[in-house]
Amino acid sequence: MCVGLSAKVVDLKDGTAVIDASGAKRSVSAELLDDLEVGDYVMVHAGVAIAKITDDDENETNKIMEEL
Amino acid sequence: MDNLNGLSPKEILKGYNGRKLRIMEVCGTHTHEIFRLGIRKILPESIELISGPGCPVCVTPVGYIDEACILALEKNCVICTFGDLIRVPGTEMSLADARGKGAQIKTVYSPLDAVDFAKENPHKQVVFLAVGFETTTPSACIAVEKARKDGLDNFSILCANKTMPNAYQALKGSADAFLFPGHVNAITGNATCKALSEQGVSGVVAGFTAKELLTALAVTVTLLQKGEPFFVNCYPRVVKDEGSPAAQKLMAKVMEPCDSEWRGLGVIKMSGMKLREEYADFDARKKYSLPEIKGKPNPACRCGDVLQGKCKPCDCKVFGKVCTPQHPVGACMVSGEGACSAYYQYGM
Ligand code: SF4
Repeated sequence: MCVGLSAKVVDLKDGTAVIDASGAKRSVSAELLDDLEVGDYVMVHAGVAIAKITDDDENETNKIMEEL
Repeated sequence: MDNLNGLSPKEILKGYNGRKLRIMEVCGTHTHEIFRLGIRKILPESIELISGPGCPVCVTPVGYIDEACILALEKNCVICTFGDLIRVPGTEMSLADARGKGAQIKTVYSPLDAVDFAKENPHKQVVFLAVGFETTTPSACIAVEKARKDGLDNFSILCANKTMPNAYQALKGSADAFLFPGHVNAITGNATCKALSEQGVSGVVAGFTAKELLTALAVTVTLLQKGEPFFVNCYPRVVKDEGSPAAQKLMAKVMEPCDSEWRGLGVIKMSGMKLREEYADFDARKKYSLPEIKGKPNPACRCGDVLQGKCKPCDCKVFGKVCTPQHPVGACMVSGEGACSAYYQYGM
């Protein structure tokens, strides 16, 4: 139940986002994220977009290793 | 990368030959991803991974399942739940067994789906089983707010939400470092973990892809060798230092902290959440005057030791024999994120 789903926002209306997760679309609550825009990537848990994803994992981990 | 001689995370881990290190992956999804990606196989023996209590299904106490069965069988409620909870054993039966006796148990993906179901079925009393850590608690709060706004009087939740800070305190000595659960920190931010490092408890917050998990482990192993307590955010693309202020505000509005029982670990002070008095109409315990229930777990089950890293699932006498994913004796064998089910599935 805790597995997060990363997905792209394809539509946004009244606090609800339509997300596309590898082709599967569904509506989720977007009310926790006020600066969301269509095209953003989000992490979804139990029907709620909980966070914006701001980078890919490759870039992220390269930076971490450089800073270590 | 100078100080690491340009080594990749994988090379750092493979090449480690120092003292024995115990790293606890707090989150059940980490446990499963680490198995699934084969990361355990590349680790030298001196790096031991132990599974922590971060699977909400695994730490849900027996008495909670008993309460849900009473609501379903005696109070005629339709129970809406995440699928994993259905097969968790209660004292006498699981929700799957209750279903066999005529209970209506419906699997939902989100508590918001349970609210929609209540709206579409005004003659049914609907109860959502609210379990989970800070990651899932906001969704339960959004559902309650929505039910209130829509004026629903046939929706309530059975609250067993939990919070991690005091669990970390209870587990402090169990490992050399924690892999903190990425999506809990996405909500709460990093303050608790930073404070832990000031108390000498090290850890990193980790993401879930192969690159992220290998990097988080390599950072942990490298910094443990330096000997100073540390905290590093190894999942910055999702976890911000401040977490999600909107989610924190919502949770504080709808719920308040309370003592909470963790299966196998006992009651941990102020490690749970309950609905505030203003939301009493949506609190299934109050609405249906549930009696206080003390569940009795199966005495053979060592889930409590497994969840604290005191033993491995295969050290439990009934592991893989009496207790299998098809016939779970304890909760750790039920959930896809449970340590016993991971050991069973991946054959360790
Ligand atoms: S193998 Fe089964 S009985 Fe043993 S600790 Fe795990 S869940 Fe409990």
